[in-house]
Amino acid sequence: MIYKTFHIKTLFYLLPAVFIFLTFNVIPGLTSLVLSFFDFSGFETNLFRKFVGIDNFIKIYEDKYFWIALKNTFLFVFGAVFIQTGIALVLSIFIFFGNFKFSVLVRSIIFFPCVLAPVSVGLVWKKILEQDGVLNSILGLDYSYLSSVSLVMWLIIMVNTWQWIGYNLVIYYAGLQSMNIELLEASDIDGANWSQKIFSIIIPLLWPTTILNMILNLIGGFRAFDIVYVLTRGGPAHYSEVLASYLYYYSFSAGGPNKMGVGAAVAFVIFACILTIAVARIIISKKIRREN
Amino acid sequence: METNKINNYGASFKRSPVFYVITRIVVLFFIIIIIFPLLYTLSLSVRSPETVYSARYFLIPYEFSFANYIDAFVNAEQKLKVSFPRMFINSAVVTSLSVTLIISMSIFAAFAFSHLRFPLKESLYNVMIASVAMPAQVLLIPLFYILIYLGIINTYQAVILAYAGFLIPIGILILRMFYEQIPYELTEAGTVDGASDLQLLMKVLLPLAKPAIATCVILLFLDTWNEFIYAMIFMQDPTIHTVPVGLAKIGTSRYQVNIGTYSASVMITIIPVMIIFAVFQRWFIAGMTMGALKH
Repeated sequence: MIYKTFHIKTLFYLLPAVFIFLTFNVIPGLTSLVLSFFDFSGFETNLFRKFVGIDNFIKIYEDKYFWIALKNTFLFVFGAVFIQTGIALVLSIFIFFGNFKFSVLVRSIIFFPCVLAPVSVGLVWKKILEQDGVLNSILGLDYSYLSSVSLVMWLIIMVNTWQWIGYNLVIYYAGLQSMNIELLEASDIDGANWSQKIFSIIIPLLWPTTILNMILNLIGGFRAFDIVYVLTRGGPAHYSEVLASYLYYYSFSAGGPNKMGVGAAVAFVIFACILTIAVARIIISKKIRREN
Repeated sequence: METNKINNYGASFKRSPVFYVITRIVVLFFIIIIIFPLLYTLSLSVRSPETVYSARYFLIPYEFSFANYIDAFVNAEQKLKVSFPRMFINSAVVTSLSVTLIISMSIFAAFAFSHLRFPLKESLYNVMIASVAMPAQVLLIPLFYILIYLGIINTYQAVILAYAGFLIPIGILILRMFYEQIPYELTEAGTVDGASDLQLLMKVLLPLAKPAIATCVILLFLDTWNEFIYAMIFMQDPTIHTVPVGLAKIGTSRYQVNIGTYSASVMITIIPVMIIFAVFQRWFIAGMTMGALKH
């Protein structure tokens, strides 16, 4: 520490960043919670004129599409947290221990979609999945995948997995590179085969990395909007809506209801979900620390 | 070096033919899955308009043509009122200014968090950590009105300030952790020599923090260049559309563009990123890994 106590010069370092952070992050975040109790549309100047209590929440509670959006969001998060992390785990172990000649190239290829805009990725897949797309030519089918109510959400999850699997992969790879190798050497002497090594040693040792990947995917899962927007715009008939796109539809969409108070209520729900998870995470990590 | 390390403890992995075959099949499968959609879009974009619906093995065009790329440029300019070069300039302006603003402010703020004392330090820091997990859409509606009140909606500043508020915690998080890893003796020696805190930051910490700043640049570049919803809602004036917004309009518009033009438009946004990635891939992968491990 340079100063033992607070010094006025500290503000010079701190204020620009904190000012921007408060004005464009904390204040809008809190305002959003307040706005969910007001009724306003995109054309008003005084947003706080019409207080409606919990009407906005009743409105979304009674809207069947809100529940679809909520269910889809959880499904999406589930896919990102378990399916995507699981595939990345297997893939990273295979690439790391598979003695590939071009393992750097393999990783770069699988990682590459991560640097693309989700909008570009969505549009690439949209043409593949459309009725006259190449998937139907390959499979010899004539099916409109993106208009299938039961399939559409899984396809969105698949496209998202396609884009982000490389991200989890390189994080796992970093975990594998820093793994304690003594146990593996010992198991070699004991004559363990490859599947025993993977299930009894490598996967348990990678557990902290798995938790990290799951948390990253959980946070990313609630953010998903771009990919839904370009692939389906929430369709068919709102069946692939997630909370973020539902918020957009209610508040900003050109053909939508233009009810921003309802949008703010949806933001409140997203906020509550993330907050619950964040608090749970802090409690769990404190518990683990106490046990150790 | 890496392979030597594996050889040392990979004995049973190398000995097992089953493992060898399974890894080849699985990894090859995933490489095809990753590459095929991109190659397919590339293939569509270089087919001549007459042969656009057919190709050898789904990928090799019967007739090559760059007409689709010309169509894509013309289509964007006529229907969107914003040309592709203009979109790239818009994205470049927004990205470079946001990244510069965020990093220059984070360098100083992170120093206050790591080396100086002030009231409510850890509470403020916890709020920043929590805000990193918050989806951007939560701030969307109030930000929209704040930007209207400030009179900067539909300008570059609208999006730049929104990005700054949203991404500053990431810069501060990464730089603070890095500053704190720098050995205490170094700053101590500086203080004994009579260096002021500003000199300490500029002459001791910053030169050592170059890798952390590189990580920030990469993470923030990707976040801002690819960002969509803020750019779409805060800059609705077509002439200042960024690349993702313009592309989304082309790809999801009511009037259908033909599949060749569509694919060429998508490729125009992918190819520059592909070139940058090919050159800097190590930095991208290292940067994103490092950014994730800081969570």
